Amino acid sequence: MHIAEGFLPPLHAVAWGAASAPFVVHGVRALTREVKANPESTLLLGASGAFTFVLSALKIPSVTGSCSHPTGTGLGAILFRPPIMAVLGTITLLFQALLLAHGGLTTLGANVFSMAIAGPWAGYGVYLLLKRFDVPLMVTVFFGAFFADLVTYCVTSVQLALAFPDPGTGFAGALVKFGGIFAVTQIPLAVSEGLLTVLVMRLLMQSSRSDLVRLGVAKLTGRSGQEAAL
Amino acid sequence: MLPIDVAAHGSRWRRRHPLEKALLGLGLTVTAVCLPPWPGGPLVAAATLAVLLGPAGVAGRQLWRAFRIPLGFCFTGALPLLVAVGGPTGFVSLAPEGPRHAAELLLRTSAASLGVLLFAFTTPVSDVLPRLVRAGVPAPVVDVALVMYRIGFLLLDSMTQVRRAQAARLGHAGRAAVWRSLAGLAATSFVRAFDRAARLQDGLAGRGYDGALRVLVPETALSWRFLAASGALLAVLITLTLTLKGLYL
Repeated sequence: MHIAEGFLPPLHAVAWGAASAPFVVHGVRALTREVKANPESTLLLGASGAFTFVLSALKIPSVTGSCSHPTGTGLGAILFRPPIMAVLGTITLLFQALLLAHGGLTTLGANVFSMAIAGPWAGYGVYLLLKRFDVPLMVTVFFGAFFADLVTYCVTSVQLALAFPDPGTGFAGALVKFGGIFAVTQIPLAVSEGLLTVLVMRLLMQSSRSDLVRLGVAKLTGRSGQEAAL
Repeated sequence: MLPIDVAAHGSRWRRRHPLEKALLGLGLTVTAVCLPPWPGGPLVAAATLAVLLGPAGVAGRQLWRAFRIPLGFCFTGALPLLVAVGGPTGFVSLAPEGPRHAAELLLRTSAASLGVLLFAFTTPVSDVLPRLVRAGVPAPVVDVALVMYRIGFLLLDSMTQVRRAQAARLGHAGRAAVWRSLAGLAATSFVRAFDRAARLQDGLAGRGYDGALRVLVPETALSWRFLAASGALLAVLITLTLTLKGLYL
């Protein structure tokens, strides 16, 4: 859910920009270190970012009968890790604002916080937690993508509720209002995105295991070098 | 390429320095966000439209096609402001100041969106990215963004072709088929993105790639007249808005 250009009051826009900055700077440092250590990773990271960008062009059917696009934050965080996703997500949101008139520049900080920081970290956290309990990979992938999507929308609801508190009940009322509106469409969409991510991961396990090994999602095990999912 | 970027490459202002256009377009956006929505929103929107359709030479139809997207988001985003939740009037009721707040939000977002469109319609992203290094953005980040920009368009084209092929093979007939096709489309994009990166790597390695992507940036001088005119326009808009606000509202 992109917050449109000019939607947030100036103070909120600046505050969300400031909140996002440390995460993006951390991601930039991680990315710079990676590129300095392996110059060829520039191209792989660029390809990863391009993949994140085109994911938003997919239209997924929703249970409510409407159609929406996946955030791609869960899949991106599992494949590329949250710090890198903060940078790739920021560039993606910048491209979407300039090339698709989707989102905005004054709302970039808020959108980065919800879609490139909170969503990926939440999804990746759930993914790691379930993996620690030896939950099957596809179940961890589903819940990683589901929570990444859901947290993205919850954070967006909080951002909107802070900017537009309800006249009678303040922030709490506005949170119920925005959260309630999103819940109708976004909970089914989060389920849809979780299912889609599982299907994508299954196909990738069949067709691109070597790339998944390189990204650390799958690893080589045993003397025969047979690959297995982590 | 995407329609806005195509228009930017053929723009009358293409050869102008991106900083000039950033000052004007993004200045108008910031002005729209910071000024009181009434009468600031309509004044900024009118001035931006005049620049877009006049000196910048953007076609009206192209502009409308791009503008209707954020406008739709603005409309749907403003609707929740019309209702209040909880309180003595019931769980859901009409907000007393709701229509005014929704109208102000619409004015602000519409004017701000036009400012960004002015920048986007006159400045190709490929002109902006290499210059970000001079603005202090680390070179590796700019290089990654450049690769994303180049591969992104190729992937979008591939996706369109794959989607068309899937539809021709009844890949969209029925819910299960749609899900299978979508998963295949996303996985194909991933595979093609990495394949493209590997081929790019091989090609660049043959040309002595050392980790830095060097691109030719056409030298353009800053026009102080343009900058001064942009600053004057912003100053006039701010003064006019605050004067009108003080006099009549």
